[in-house]
Amino acid sequence: MILKALLLFLLSCNLSYAADVLADITARLIKTPITQGEFQQEKRLKILRKPLLSTGAFTYSQSNGVIWKTLTPIPSLLLVNDAHLLTGQGEQAVPPAFGKVFKAMLGGDLKQLSDGFVITGENKKSAWSLQLTPKDEMLKKIISSIVLSGDTELRGLDMQEVNGNITRISFTKITHPDQLTSEQQTDFERLSP
Amino acid sequence: MNVYHPRITAWLWLLGLLIVGVLGSRVLTSDWLETGFLALLPVTEQQPEIAKAVQQHNQLLNRKVIWLTGAASSQEAITQARQLKQQLQQSGLFSQLMLEVPMQQTVNNYQQLFPYRYQLLDAQTKLTLANNPKNLLSQNLEILYSPMAQMLASDLEHDPLLLFSRYFNAQNPLKLNVEQGIVILHDANRYWALLLSDLQDEHLQLDKLETLLTLVNNAKANGDLMVTGMPLFTAYGADSAKQEISTVGVGSSVGIIVLLLLTFRSLRPLLLSSIAIGCGLFAALVACVLFFGKVHIITLVFGASLIGVADDYAIHFMCDSFGTKDWQPRQGLRYIFSGLVIGLCTNLLSYVGLVFSPFPALQEVALFSAVGLLVAWLTVVLLFPLLLTGFKHTHEPAILKVANYWQQHSPRWLLKNKRWLLPMFIVFIVGGLWQLTPRDDVRLLQSAPAELLQTADKIKQLLPVSQESQFFLVSGRDVNDWHHNEQQLLGRLKSLTQQYQLIAYQGISDYWSDEQNQQKNYQLLNKTLYESGLFKSYMTELGFSEAAINTELKQFNEAKNKTISLPDWLKTADEVKQQLWLGCDAERCLSRVSLTGIRDLSVFPALQSLQGVTWVDQVEQLSSLFARYRVRVSGLIIAAYLLVFIGLGFKFGWRNSLNITAVPVVAALVALATMGWFDQLFSLFNLFALLLVLGIGVDDAIFFFMADNAPASDHDKRVSTSLAVTLSALTTLLAFGLLAVSATEIVHAFGFTVAVGILTALVFSPLVGHREKDV
Repeated sequence: MILKALLLFLLSCNLSYAADVLADITARLIKTPITQGEFQQEKRLKILRKPLLSTGAFTYSQSNGVIWKTLTPIPSLLLVNDAHLLTGQGEQAVPPAFGKVFKAMLGGDLKQLSDGFVITGENKKSAWSLQLTPKDEMLKKIISSIVLSGDTELRGLDMQEVNGNITRISFTKITHPDQLTSEQQTDFERLSP
Repeated sequence: MNVYHPRITAWLWLLGLLIVGVLGSRVLTSDWLETGFLALLPVTEQQPEIAKAVQQHNQLLNRKVIWLTGAASSQEAITQARQLKQQLQQSGLFSQLMLEVPMQQTVNNYQQLFPYRYQLLDAQTKLTLANNPKNLLSQNLEILYSPMAQMLASDLEHDPLLLFSRYFNAQNPLKLNVEQGIVILHDANRYWALLLSDLQDEHLQLDKLETLLTLVNNAKANGDLMVTGMPLFTAYGADSAKQEISTVGVGSSVGIIVLLLLTFRSLRPLLLSSIAIGCGLFAALVACVLFFGKVHIITLVFGASLIGVADDYAIHFMCDSFGTKDWQPRQGLRYIFSGLVIGLCTNLLSYVGLVFSPFPALQEVALFSAVGLLVAWLTVVLLFPLLLTGFKHTHEPAILKVANYWQQHSPRWLLKNKRWLLPMFIVFIVGGLWQLTPRDDVRLLQSAPAELLQTADKIKQLLPVSQESQFFLVSGRDVNDWHHNEQQLLGRLKSLTQQYQLIAYQGISDYWSDEQNQQKNYQLLNKTLYESGLFKSYMTELGFSEAAINTELKQFNEAKNKTISLPDWLKTADEVKQQLWLGCDAERCLSRVSLTGIRDLSVFPALQSLQGVTWVDQVEQLSSLFARYRVRVSGLIIAAYLLVFIGLGFKFGWRNSLNITAVPVVAALVALATMGWFDQLFSLFNLFALLLVLGIGVDDAIFFFMADNAPASDHDKRVSTSLAVTLSALTTLLAFGLLAVSATEIVHAFGFTVAVGILTALVFSPLVGHREKDV
């Protein structure tokens, strides 16, 4: 009986703690309708002896979705929003949870993330980090955890896959323009025909 | 005539009724009511294999119901869909309910087909390989470097060239979003969870259809819901038909009761009429079930209107009692007997015409009506003389006065004013006929609430998987020949999708190649990627180990002579693809190619010039069948009118025959012209209505004619005849005119045509036998 009560108490503590952390981190993040910057991505696949390194630029738009433009080594474009995912090969079937999550991560929408993930984290003076574990059964089979870290901006994303593969993305040169460039607008138009 | 003994005939009648009763008690125990829309359509006049394909296609459609539950978030939509699934399960109506996408099955299919990855290439991959194999490899890099790579290239270890993941993705061209294993669709402001269901039985009984409607309505009360499917259209159709039967049945019954009570001020005529009608309807139903096995609900709608015609005989008989003092039923019958016989003959003749139509429903209506009329007639002739003994009146009903005034004065007025009436009449007829434009669209057979149609359209937009009712049949001498032919067709369809004439098409030869092509695919890979060493440099660059490269090469070499047969492949395919394959017999192999989102139908029939390709468009074929039969039935009607004219000519002389037949001819012309002026639907079915107008119009005219030729002592027969004609016209009008309230356009058109025709016959029939000397 006592044990149970204690457990309940701990659990509720933990919950309120997590909620607090989320709120604090959300408060720290600069939130604007548009965020853009550059990325460096490192993928370590178990079957490959060297990492796949790529760099490029990203654009987050609260109302439109995300443009992920890889510039090296192979230029390519990926467009994603809540409902669609477009690549050079056309429309792709991917759980929309993934599109949503991707957008929510880049937009710092932690509340949205907590719909699809169990979130634990810490908020230190210099930086914060959050660990996300998927709730969706299908996503669980692929992703074991995602760690987000940053300060007033999201600076890093580490994804650990169930099969041992790792994806590490770091974000630099983040800015918050007021408007999309016409090129960005054209890209987004392809997403919502 | 003295052999006619009321008691003997009454016994005869009772005996007949007993036989019908016994037959009925046997036949009507089974499930005898047909409600499906497709049962109305004629058996296609085509080669058996097309008919078979059409039938298979229809059976498929007849069972599918698609449900979408909507909410502001996908989570809520899923919760609602789960609740709905439970409700549907409990109803026991469905043989299959699919909410969660069968992931395990997908995994199994993946594993079964994976060994054949070098033989099964999708069309796009083949094209890329043939044009520029390096493109394929740089596309791979694009995928691998993308942040979504783990979704797009999950099996890189076993499929380093991503050949199979390409093939597997191409098998499901429609990219559906899946959350928690459930397909989620998304429109401007709502998320919809998809639930697919198959009904247990393609021929739904009426009570099950009601259950289906109740399920839909309950589910709608619980939240946003969109439902579509053929069974739903059937259910709504049956529902409205049921309401129409009760409207028409109750309306005409009430009208007739009031009319008879007002006229005769006695319950006897009412009871007698009910006996005549009741026996007629019952015998008709038994005959139909005996002959056809089932009665369609539309037959009953038309059948309900039969009350009006069946009542005519009784009315003529009973009205005769107003014509003579000291009226005796036997004398009365003797006087009207020949009129009744001619009336029955013309009525039966008009229904016989329906038998020659190819539509099962109309054949049923013909049999139903003919039997109903015959039995009602027999009841009048055999039973009434006994039961009308001592039937006398002391009153003169108001309607008699009106009818008499009408028959005396209307011809006079018409004749006096013919100088300006005639030109006007001619202008009316010619103008109306000129505006008459036939519409033969088969869809008019179906009455669907606008809401249901809108929902169906909306679902089609959200979920562009639903197959059109049109499709292609592809045949070949053997599997290889068939494969070649279908590939030719699919190539043409592909260019049509690129021209936006079509959203999508599906043919199994795009997923399965015949053995020869499987070898070709392997050779293509070998030539472009393996022999050239491209695969090696690609894998090395990516960072695969030497061992991994060797394993891949070994697997490729070992797979050289692998082939997968069509039956084996079909086992891994989903239901929709399996149903595209129609099988092989000794002479040929046959498949269906389904289409989605057709923009312009006219471009497709031309593809029949390809070897082994047949375009199947049921809607168009049936509509053109309607059009052809409209022309044919027009001839039939003219023949029927001529036949009646000749028959009457032999009996009464040509001049009299011309007078009598003029009544239905004018009535028919007025009916046609009125349809033209009011822009009513003009199709095959109106023509059948004209047959009825012939029957009833001739009846009216003959009785007036006979009244005029009655012995001098019976000089006031014309009075009682005008009463009978008026009463019978009014009852028929009540019966058929009420069909005009039907929501189904053709039934409405039928009612409208009959109503106008009957009214016209009523107006013009007093002209028959009208003498100038009375003016």
